[in-house]
Amino acid sequence: MNDMMSAGLHRLWKDRLVSKLHPFPGMKHLDVAGGTGDVAFRVLESINSVSRRAIQDGLAETEEETQIYICDINPNMLNVGKKRAIERGLGENHCLHWIEGDAEALSFEDGSMDGYTIAFGIRNVTHVEEALAEAYRVLKRGGRFLCLELSHVELPIFKQLYDYYSFSVIPAMGELVAGDRESYQYLVESIRRFPNQEAFARMIVDTGFEKIEYENLVGGVVAIHSGLKL
Amino acid sequence: MPTPNGRYPRSHSTFSWPFRRTDTAVAIVYLSNMLRSVAARRLLTHFVSPGRSAAAPALRRLSTPASPQPNQPHTSSEQLQGEHPNPTHGASASSRATGEDGEPHLRRGGAGPRARGDYEEEQARVLRAAVPHVVRFGWSESALIAGARDVGLSPSIVGSFPRKEAALVEFFMDDCLQRLIDRIDSGEELKDLILSDRLSKLIRIRLEMQAPYISKWPQALSIQAQPVNLPTSFKQRALLVDEIWHAAGDTGSDIDWYVKRTVLGDFRDTWKFLGHRIKDAFDLQKTVKEAAYLAEAVAAGMGNSVQGAMRRLFQG
Repeated sequence: MNDMMSAGLHRLWKDRLVSKLHPFPGMKHLDVAGGTGDVAFRVLESINSVSRRAIQDGLAETEEETQIYICDINPNMLNVGKKRAIERGLGENHCLHWIEGDAEALSFEDGSMDGYTIAFGIRNVTHVEEALAEAYRVLKRGGRFLCLELSHVELPIFKQLYDYYSFSVIPAMGELVAGDRESYQYLVESIRRFPNQEAFARMIVDTGFEKIEYENLVGGVVAIHSGLKL
Repeated sequence: MPTPNGRYPRSHSTFSWPFRRTDTAVAIVYLSNMLRSVAARRLLTHFVSPGRSAAAPALRRLSTPASPQPNQPHTSSEQLQGEHPNPTHGASASSRATGEDGEPHLRRGGAGPRARGDYEEEQARVLRAAVPHVVRFGWSESALIAGARDVGLSPSIVGSFPRKEAALVEFFMDDCLQRLIDRIDSGEELKDLILSDRLSKLIRIRLEMQAPYISKWPQALSIQAQPVNLPTSFKQRALLVDEIWHAAGDTGSDIDWYVKRTVLGDFRDTWKFLGHRIKDAFDLQKTVKEAAYLAEAVAAGMGNSVQGAMRRLFQG
């Protein structure tokens, strides 16, 4: 359904998220609400390609091992992710850790993560401020927070097209493909209810992050917010 | 690590680095080319730029600062936080992320009093700590990551720097310029030299700062030559040349021949080469003058012969 609704673009969006993150070998990364592993696999691949280059350069700075933690409140999603890992040949990979947990109350120690990502997950969190506070807590100094989420479109004509697409096409698609109009209606409405780019950025500021930026993709259909803990 | 007064300590131990003539020669030719064009300008304008104010010049950092000018009302209390010597110059200050939309929106953050200058300070600290690693890793992200680790920050912060390697090169250039200014201001040894010697001296001081990194210098130059980085590199070079000319035109204090105290060794040939190039630059000035006189003479001569021809024509 993701592919259908976004015409495959969600893959590009996640690519963009990970490239903004700039993973490095030896990184401790936490991906929240990413049970199916999309972001985590991309981070791992990015690091492995960097490592290969670094080794070619004659460096061996990767004494610290890369660790990627995937946290999701839904164990079914985690299972899907684990299966996918096996399919990709990463089943035995000791870098990936699948952890069931709540974004509002993470089980990780303070200042233990270099990076924190949450892709299409924060909209579903009941108390967004608490999730943000937890993100702040677990990040190290210098660590980065990145959030990929459906957001608000303001461009004049495009907005009308997008609204039409959201309210007419998507629920119909949901009914046809998944047999569940309600959920997709809810999805579209929850996007509208979530704070817009500026408001969400303000929330991130209030949590204590610095250098908050956001980047609109596809005119604001999706936004990547990033912040730094100092 | 920087010394308490913020200066970056020079590491003489690296003078044992194998001498790379070509790289230094490139640097010298480059600088003297600049001087040539400046010499030509001087010829045309007939004046040495006095430029600077008498007060100690605050270095205008041209390396990309990360902060834009925030205009959000709720951060207004943090806007007054301290002077920051980072005006945003031509080079873009905000991160130009290239999404399909490509418009990043920036917001200064922070709960608490340390908000405003904090990010740039941390960035500067990381860059400063990264420079010693350049010898090993080149002007690359690896050097930046090592720098971040040295400073006690997560290397993730490197991901938030706009134009990472370029920022490192530019920081290094700014730092060298600042050190050059400090050396000049500390009243060194320039007074009794003739102009071309003064220039040689200044350029040599500046080049010595680069000596430890000479093996990675072509990489630095290529980074600076990338189109996106050009505005800043031009500005930095203009400043440098300005500074050198000003100092050369300036009257300093006692001569205290630095040469005797420096470990010259392999660099003797370099300094000879440098001297020749500077003299060339002046010769060019002379040559241009001579060429101008020649042109006048030719014009006069030609005018005479034309006049003569016209007279003969009308008389004949």
